[in-house]
Amino acid sequence: MIELKNLSKSYNKGQVRAVDNLSLHVKPGEIFGFLGPNGAGKTTTIKMMVGLLNPDEGSISINGFNTKTQSIQAKSSIGYVPDNPDIYDRLTGIEYLHFMADVYRVSPDDRQKRIKDFLEMFELSDAASDLIKSYSHGMKQKLVVTGALIHNPAVWILDEPMVGLDPKSAHLLKEYMRKHCEQGNTVFFSTHILEVAEKLCDRIGIINKGKLIAIGTMAELRQGGGTGSLETIFLELTEA
Amino acid sequence: MNLFFTLFRTNFNLNFGISALKYRFRKESRKIPETLLIVLGVLFGFGSLIGLYSFLMYQVFSAGLSLGQPEIVLTIAFVSAQFIILIFGIFYILGVFYFGRDLSMLIPLPLSPYQVLGSKFAIVMINEYLTALPLLVPPIIIYGMGTGQGFFYWVKSLVLVLAAPAIPLTIASIFVIVLMRFVNLRKRKDLLTIVGGFFGLLLSLGLNFWIQKLQNGNMVNRVQSLIESDLIKMIGQSFPPSIWATLALGGQGFSGFAYLLLFLLVSLLLLAAMLRLGNRFFYKSVLSGQEATRKRKVLSSKNEHRSFNSSTSPMMAIIIREWRLLLRTPIYVLNGLSGVIVGPFILVLLFFTQGSENGSYTTQQLLALINKPEFMITGTLCALGIVLFTTGMNLVASTSLSREGQTFWVSKMIPVAPKVQVAAKLLQAYSVAFLSVLVTVIMLAVFFKFSLLRIAIVFGLGLLGSLPLTALNLLIDVLRPKLIWTNPQEAIKQNLNGLLGMLISIILLLVIGAGVIFIVMIKTPDSLVYGMLALVLLLLTVPSLLGLFKAAERTYRQIEV
Repeated sequence: MIELKNLSKSYNKGQVRAVDNLSLHVKPGEIFGFLGPNGAGKTTTIKMMVGLLNPDEGSISINGFNTKTQSIQAKSSIGYVPDNPDIYDRLTGIEYLHFMADVYRVSPDDRQKRIKDFLEMFELSDAASDLIKSYSHGMKQKLVVTGALIHNPAVWILDEPMVGLDPKSAHLLKEYMRKHCEQGNTVFFSTHILEVAEKLCDRIGIINKGKLIAIGTMAELRQGGGTGSLETIFLELTEA
Repeated sequence: MNLFFTLFRTNFNLNFGISALKYRFRKESRKIPETLLIVLGVLFGFGSLIGLYSFLMYQVFSAGLSLGQPEIVLTIAFVSAQFIILIFGIFYILGVFYFGRDLSMLIPLPLSPYQVLGSKFAIVMINEYLTALPLLVPPIIIYGMGTGQGFFYWVKSLVLVLAAPAIPLTIASIFVIVLMRFVNLRKRKDLLTIVGGFFGLLLSLGLNFWIQKLQNGNMVNRVQSLIESDLIKMIGQSFPPSIWATLALGGQGFSGFAYLLLFLLVSLLLLAAMLRLGNRFFYKSVLSGQEATRKRKVLSSKNEHRSFNSSTSPMMAIIIREWRLLLRTPIYVLNGLSGVIVGPFILVLLFFTQGSENGSYTTQQLLALINKPEFMITGTLCALGIVLFTTGMNLVASTSLSREGQTFWVSKMIPVAPKVQVAAKLLQAYSVAFLSVLVTVIMLAVFFKFSLLRIAIVFGLGLLGSLPLTALNLLIDVLRPKLIWTNPQEAIKQNLNGLLGMLISIILLLVIGAGVIFIVMIKTPDSLVYGMLALVLLLLTVPSLLGLFKAAERTYRQIEV
């Protein structure tokens, strides 16, 4: 479903290698957790996957589509939530959702059902006709999640999706992620909350200084030398 | 006091973008030529304005001298500088004191309200020197040199110029602080932007007319009537500091210094009063405006039903988004749309006031001339030129991509081809151009009594010519969008692309204009002139559109967010 091959990206004319020869494969039906310290290259990798950054080298395939040569098809398969919910302040919530539904060509019946479900799930129905600029950070985050998933994409790519969400919304989102994968879809998300990753993910990848330093299920990570919780493994691997 | 200076230093840095500038020179050397170009352009534009103003002030001084009242030039300078600072100061101070984004960061810090207020006031004061210096320095030099003043005159001048913004600004601040205590304008920010913008437009128009009036006719008579009229006296009475400044500079010996002291003393007293008042009320009114306002209107089932059934194509969705964002951002409406309506009106106004002022011809004669058969084509082409000029000056196309700012990631991520997205932007900007052509054509019909045929020609060719102009303006923004900004004002007013778009439009129109003048001069039949012009505009449209779509595909891929 997601295939990254020898992906590299540098900043400052090659002085800073943000992502260094990264390869990984995420299968259908999998929840993949992407971990790493601040500045390790998580967001850069994710932004390359969704087409916001251009890789210097390597290739990306999403749902069988090459993101460079078949970008429109690849984009249609992705639901992306950025780490910072910067959206149109002067649209209302419902206008934003309709905009997203229109550009992803969601049929009126589907959008009616999904918008209603999401707004109720996130308790946003009351605020949907207000301008987004009056929303709190958490409300914006919920709206962005709704907008990203409105076309029921096969691949979800979420950059720290739990930040700003209240416990109930975070819980519902996690349930939703699980349900989505059970239908044969894929979720790829980055997080700093190791407990969430440990409990929710089928497999975990740890990136440090642009390189993928560990990948596998929790059991595989433990076998690789680490002991105990994901926190201990993470600290041991990234401080080495 | 130390805290105050720390705060002031940080504010000063932020206000003038000093760290950002240092970063630009150190890390982004690529952008240095662009920065220098802007600085040069501003200096040139500003310099020529100051030159014109100095010339005018010199005339006023000479006229005043011949009437035995050379000080009139100083009074005019101080009255106008302090008046302008007072009026604009109210809006400026409202913005800096109450609408700054830094407030939520400053309030939790262990600082007294007067320290925050004082540092903000100092920044406003420094910014106001940009208004005060050009208005005050030329007349002071003209008067000082013209009447052969000595050393003390220049010392007093320096002190007065530096202190000049203090009194109007403290008065504006006190007004704003008291106003905000009772009326919560924080919730009416959008309305204020519109009111402030139109106020500024009106004031600059008024100033324009006044200067033109002053330039027409005999300067001595004008100054004479100015001295005799109650205007200066009235302003002087209601705002004595301007007169004190004149008396401080014009008066000799002790009386001059006494007025200087009076001026400074009143400035200090007002400043102290403002800080005291601010210390009491500033945070209270800021905090009372913090609550977010939400209507919390539940989606009614009727509304829901209607909106859910109306799915549109991606292109239409983008056009709707563009229009909504434009119409709901006051600064965009003011800079992008108001020109479309106000522009043609100003033109008509200028035409009708100019004609009767000069006395060489009357407006009626001019109107008759325009509609004479031998001037038929000249009049029509001039009207067309005005229509296309208005389109070329419009900022909607040349800031279209820039206005997306930090939300551009949405456009990069959605599965809509860049070509389609840019086509939607083109259609939106073109609909603004359509509006502009329509307004101008209606003006022509109503005020200039154009015939139906001429209206049709101007309308048709205007629409045809607006297409390549809009496409080229949009192309500039597609090639070099300004996506990093925090205030929408930076996207439309402080965006070099707007200026570049205007420049390219003017050059293009001048070239086409020259060609048209040539074929008219060689007595080409009218219909052929229009036909050739239509063909040229059509031929121009093709490469403009092709270039635009090609650039869109490349830029959307290259820009990284």
